[in-house]
Amino acid sequence: MKLRTLAALVLALLAGPAAALTQLETDDLVKLVDERQHNNGDWAAVCYMESKEKDKTDVVYELVFYRRTEGQRLLILFTKPKAEAGKGYLRIEKNLWNYDPSTGKWERRTERERIGGTDTRRGDLDESRLSEEYTAKWEADEKLGAFDVHRLLLDVKEGVDVAFPRVELWIDAATGNILKRQDRALSGRLMRTSYYPRWKRVFSESKSDYVWFPEEMRFYDEVEKENSTLILVRQVDLRLLSANMFTKAWLESKSR
Amino acid sequence: MNLIDFKIAARSLFRHTKRNLLLGGAIAAVTLLLVLMGGLTEGIRSAMLESASTLMTGHVNVGGFFKFTSGASAPLVNDYEQVLEVTRRIVPEIDYVTVRGRGWAKAVSEQSSMDLVLGGIDVAHEPGFRKNVRIVSGNLDALAKPNTILLFEDQAKRLEVQVGDALTLSAPTARGVNNTADVRVVAVAKNLGILSAFNAFISGETLRGLYQLRRTATGALHLYLQDPSSAREVAARLRSRLAEAGFRVMDADPKPYWEKLMGKVNSEDWVGQKLDVTTWEDELTFISWILSAVGAITGVLMFILLVIVVIGILNTLAIAIRERTREIGTLRAIGMQRTRVLFLFVLEATLLGAVGATTGALAGVALSALVNAIQVAVPDSVQMFLMQQHLTLTVLGKTVLARALLILVLTGAAALVPALHAARLKPITAMHHVG
Repeated sequence: MKLRTLAALVLALLAGPAAALTQLETDDLVKLVDERQHNNGDWAAVCYMESKEKDKTDVVYELVFYRRTEGQRLLILFTKPKAEAGKGYLRIEKNLWNYDPSTGKWERRTERERIGGTDTRRGDLDESRLSEEYTAKWEADEKLGAFDVHRLLLDVKEGVDVAFPRVELWIDAATGNILKRQDRALSGRLMRTSYYPRWKRVFSESKSDYVWFPEEMRFYDEVEKENSTLILVRQVDLRLLSANMFTKAWLESKSR
Repeated sequence: MNLIDFKIAARSLFRHTKRNLLLGGAIAAVTLLLVLMGGLTEGIRSAMLESASTLMTGHVNVGGFFKFTSGASAPLVNDYEQVLEVTRRIVPEIDYVTVRGRGWAKAVSEQSSMDLVLGGIDVAHEPGFRKNVRIVSGNLDALAKPNTILLFEDQAKRLEVQVGDALTLSAPTARGVNNTADVRVVAVAKNLGILSAFNAFISGETLRGLYQLRRTATGALHLYLQDPSSAREVAARLRSRLAEAGFRVMDADPKPYWEKLMGKVNSEDWVGQKLDVTTWEDELTFISWILSAVGAITGVLMFILLVIVVIGILNTLAIAIRERTREIGTLRAIGMQRTRVLFLFVLEATLLGAVGATTGALAGVALSALVNAIQVAVPDSVQMFLMQQHLTLTVLGKTVLARALLILVLTGAAALVPALHAARLKPITAMHHVG
């Protein structure tokens, strides 16, 4: 018995101590992830969204999404296909509004809404606020393919409403970009795995620094295994947007 | 009017047996069809009430919505025991009450997935459910255990599962956070029409766990009344008295709860709890088109049949009057008044109508009983709309009486025109009539 314990100890020593991040380092890392994507100004980008669902025809959407750091504004406008053109979402304070030009009606939706019925959530197109919403814990430093990554476990903070209360992140140790993310339900079940294979940066005048964004996002539904969504972000523009942009009237005017 | 008039009318009917048999037969056939169509409409209506009141509504429901924020709402009644206590005081004519959780989830099996409207039930306190849901495989009592589900045949087929298989239910909680529950299929029940296409049942506890609800919260109180026809009156009374008792109550709106949840509730600017009182008819407005369609078809058919009857009567009496012109002339010559002649012909037609309508009504009742007894199977594709597996004709005495009376009145009215023509004949002209 003693021999076995000794052997285990030797093996552990040989393996070397995991490069554990302290809680402070972990918190800083999550803040860094947010900070790198933070713009401190306006944002406009074109997004291509391809959704695959079992026994259904693949759906491709083209949309433009606008963000303004002040007031955490977000506006999503569908431009293609023709049947979806003019539809959109507008975030006003903590409410997400959906507009359908065919009925001319605005409907209040939950912030956890699936955008266009796909596996994309509002948070995927919005600024990263992980450090505001979650408490992070370092889990391991490991390899993800060819990359050295920090694996963190994030649990939602008390009183914050998010789509997924537990998130696991694989963060590139070299860049601080998220490479993989797994979202879990309250029950602990794995709901969605996301991959962020390509990151890009654009210079922001308002931030006086680069803003990083995932140019490609791949979401895999872990409950309905054959469902997936691909998102491509293009034509990022950080110039100032019109002052009255984030209003219902503006979105309505786009569908006329 | 005296017995002599009846004798004359009856004798005239018997003298032209063949013609009157034909017309009487037509009247009987039309009455029979009207009785059958009435039975079918009523059969669908009662099947709809039965399956709806088993699956998704009481005769009257005290449901409601809880809004955590203006944009996040859930179909909830908080502190339902207190609401139930007040409700029982307001509605003493309650037969029994069931407490139902309300929810929606995506059910995912190994092979397939589908959206389901979930009812969280306490199967031990669901007498109507036990009576109306026919279990094909599995055990209904097992639904009392946590993490169990009852599916209907078509759902089990679509999800490719059977008793003992596992399913994952995935749904956002009342606050919008994603959650799942792994459940085991413990019973598969026979389909109950269109409503069983999307309604499934889990134990109340499992539903509370899935939506993270407190024990004091539920979806709705389903009230079953001794007299279901008083549902509207009871709902109106509940609405005003619950408001008087201090509850916030929504205005009457004849829509199912899920339509309100997806539309108006989220767009309104209020937070907290509001109660919503509905009747079973309100909850079924989305399928009331079935009854409207059957009603419209019945109406059109009734109109066509009644036109045929009127034309038949007009034609037959016109021929009869032509054949009996000399007889009319003789009657007028020996002193019979015009009004008496008119009355005689109307009486003759009414007698024929009475015999035909009675025969038709009796035949309709007998045929309905026979159809119910031999249990004619309804094709699967039609079951969805008729909400019946076997064709059931619900024949109500008052409906039969109303339809027979309608035929009778119509027959008498149709006889007026030829009878007026007969009454207007001059005795001398009539007696000289050859033909």
